[in-house]
Amino acid sequence: MSIAGGNVGSYGGSVIAPPGLVNAHVNGVNVPAHERVVLANGMTLIVMPRHDIPLVSFNAVLRGGESAGAPGKSGVASLVAGLLEKGAGKRDAFAFVDAVEGVGGTFNAAAGPESIAVRGQFLARDQRLMLELLADALLRPRFKLEELENLRARQIELIKAAKDSDPAELIGTYGRAYLFRGHPFARPVIGSEASLAGITHRDIVDYYHAHFRADQLTLVVAGDVDSAWLKRAVAKAFSDWPRSNRPMATLPQPARIRERSVLLVDSPGSVQTYFWIGNVGVDRHYADRAALDLANTLYGGRFTSILNTELRVKSGLSYGARSGFTRGSVAGEFAIRSFAQTQDTGKALDLALQTLAQLKNGAVTAEMLDSARAYVLGQYPLDFETAMDWTVALGEIELYGLGSGYIEDYGAQLQSVTLPQMQSVIETAFPPPDEVAIVLIGDAAELREQVGRYGPITEMPLTHSDFDGNARRA
Amino acid sequence: MNKNFGSHFLAVGSLTAAVEPAVSRVPGRESVRATTLANGLKIIVWPVHDIPNVALNNWVRAGSRNEAPGITGLAHFFEHMMFNGTTRRQPGEFDRLMEAQGGANNAFTSDDVTVYQDWFPRNALELVLDLESDRVANLAFVPTVIESERGVVYSERRLRVEDNNQGMLSEQVQATAFVAHPYRFPTIGWPADIQSWRMEDLQKFFKTYYAPNNLTLVLAGDLVPERVFELARRYFEAIPRQEPPVEVRTQEPEQLGERQFVIRRKAQTPLLQYAYKAPAGADARGPAVNLLLSILVDGDSSRLHRALVEEKQLAIEVGGHWQEGFDPGLLWLFLTLPEGSEVNEVQSAVDAELEGIAEHGVTDAELARAKNMTAAGFWKKLATIDGKAQLLGEYEVFHGDWLKLFDAPAQVDRVTLAEVQAVAREILDKRRRTVGVLLPEEGDLTQEEEAA
Repeated sequence: MSIAGGNVGSYGGSVIAPPGLVNAHVNGVNVPAHERVVLANGMTLIVMPRHDIPLVSFNAVLRGGESAGAPGKSGVASLVAGLLEKGAGKRDAFAFVDAVEGVGGTFNAAAGPESIAVRGQFLARDQRLMLELLADALLRPRFKLEELENLRARQIELIKAAKDSDPAELIGTYGRAYLFRGHPFARPVIGSEASLAGITHRDIVDYYHAHFRADQLTLVVAGDVDSAWLKRAVAKAFSDWPRSNRPMATLPQPARIRERSVLLVDSPGSVQTYFWIGNVGVDRHYADRAALDLANTLYGGRFTSILNTELRVKSGLSYGARSGFTRGSVAGEFAIRSFAQTQDTGKALDLALQTLAQLKNGAVTAEMLDSARAYVLGQYPLDFETAMDWTVALGEIELYGLGSGYIEDYGAQLQSVTLPQMQSVIETAFPPPDEVAIVLIGDAAELREQVGRYGPITEMPLTHSDFDGNARRA
Repeated sequence: MNKNFGSHFLAVGSLTAAVEPAVSRVPGRESVRATTLANGLKIIVWPVHDIPNVALNNWVRAGSRNEAPGITGLAHFFEHMMFNGTTRRQPGEFDRLMEAQGGANNAFTSDDVTVYQDWFPRNALELVLDLESDRVANLAFVPTVIESERGVVYSERRLRVEDNNQGMLSEQVQATAFVAHPYRFPTIGWPADIQSWRMEDLQKFFKTYYAPNNLTLVLAGDLVPERVFELARRYFEAIPRQEPPVEVRTQEPEQLGERQFVIRRKAQTPLLQYAYKAPAGADARGPAVNLLLSILVDGDSSRLHRALVEEKQLAIEVGGHWQEGFDPGLLWLFLTLPEGSEVNEVQSAVDAELEGIAEHGVTDAELARAKNMTAAGFWKKLATIDGKAQLLGEYEVFHGDWLKLFDAPAQVDRVTLAEVQAVAREILDKRRRTVGVLLPEEGDLTQEEEAA
């Protein structure tokens, strides 16, 4: 099997600056020269040589992720990913990590809602070893039962530890579980204490055989790499990997909620309430992405945002407040996150909801639009500084089928956004304040009275072994 | 003067095949420029033209180490106040102007320093220098703004300490490890102090520590050094020099025996933290200390991770940190334990590992691994303008000269097995450590009992 020559070529025929020279402008970012090839078995390889620093980075993106798992088995993709590093090919778990770290490399596999990404970085001199380890992990993982048991037990305890020391870190997981009830996006990527405990060795092996297929993988390599060698070596290492025998299921479009309700996660003795306010937003292919990013920048995406100004700068209620859209192959969530001391919870929630109403009622001006435009354009090149940044960006473009215009046309799109366009995005993509899910982690005994006015409350203890409030009522 | 921007990178690229053991030649030494203004402000510029952006760090030599009872947390509070208006600009204008020209900013405070960070497109350079100088020259002290910011800082304290078991335990360990030196103060400040700083405390602190002779400005990115110096002179040179701050004279007396305590909190997972007395950041043994720490906790193949997390499954997470401050400080080990752990058993296992290293040293493979990981980490930092600015600042402020950055990989390469064992013997001494244990409150309902 060899590289299918017909697919060789760079994205979109754009004019590319040679590496090492200025490749980005205030008006946007150009994608540096790279090659994209598709092997006969359907695997995609992208190579971007950059010889500024003697490091090579890779990002292997495999479609599926947590959403491809089964209901009740949340965390299966994370465990599969974690086990890829726990013994593969001729190396057991210790030998594998010794091989990586012995040469100063990194190698990390992690699941997301729609993919598993294996990422790493090696000194350029070690690129052969890097490829050998990656091929072993993807093609020849050992999946030893004992390693599964250890990893699963540890993952369960790490969730408990996060509940003890970092409740704000988990609030998005509670938020998604509550908002997307019945949709695969509800399933926590990290798993829950209960779901992890129920995952068997069979589940791991079944997931692997169903989803680890050549045509589901994009491998991006960037940095101080010999691209001719790499193309040959990848073709050799991966050529025997079979294609999938069934098409990847597409996800159903999640439905927006039309009422306001509250999930109250009880953390007795907590001195602060961590909150999340969300609804279903938009997807990766959303046509008005530039206007959306500008609107969110103004609403909750930077320090002077409307949200942070009210909750932090003017009132001193909180250390910070942010908002953002998570966009998948189908719509992910729009969410606000912040926190305030327990007795000020109602005050902070009122302010947050008021800012949402203000946004919908035309708080944004032409001057604000220009400021947001300058901000997003000014910060954008910082996302594409390193070889690792490029492997991540190109992997994402492949996963969602976005095309290089997603990066290269973004500057021009930002330049052309008008106030009416932004207002229309605010109208349609941001939820009204009476159509949101409100999720709170805090001291329920102190909060019930304060938050009853926002809608019906579902309550669950923080120590509950699932993130889904319904699990307890059922 | 090297005007051939970026040429040093291309040169290194062509050499990579020849770089075999650990990469020790660092590019950039020839292109970095530094100058000191008449008022004592030092400015260091690293021109890099990969992206049209700039990272600026303003290092202030003031941290919680410069505080006293009653004003703990003041250095950190200043970090917040510096965004809250000057006599020339309203509160909020700093951020509004910077963001409208495409810049973002942040800041952090430690035991030793406060660092202000800006990331902006190159065309915002003059504005950023104007804003940075304005807040050093003309900071405003508006009582209502101070009160509001007190609330913000207290919210940060709740997030990092009061609702965070790791943060709560480390605050107690730090306070126990030192009896005399101000390193005992938590950087966020004790609650009563946060509530009660006075206006004159703020003004005095500002005048002393936010003087040009106590600052170092570091910029990396798409810049021409001469232009930066010219703008810096225009905006900073009129700010008067002040008397140098009083030295921190207190030296922590020798610790004569192990300190150990247990606290009980609402928790599912017990925590265990060790703080060993360790040298100052500029100590000649620094590279050996960092390699020792890397051998102990860096990565899944490290000694403590392998023994405690993988083999014995006594811990679910192991981490470590060496303070590297101006004065001798702490080397920390952090362990998170599974629910229901016998903490004594874990402590015995940790001690066995640490005693093993002090007694038998580490292996060639362990040292080689730690050197390689250090080299790769160094290169990863050098790959961004932010990393370059940070490294230049660290070496200038903590090691006395930014030029030392360029010798850092060679220093690491030279460390021997005997030197690692020597620092292990010296530092990992039970008599000079503080051990904090956090256990779940007695009588806590477990999840199973609650569901029943």
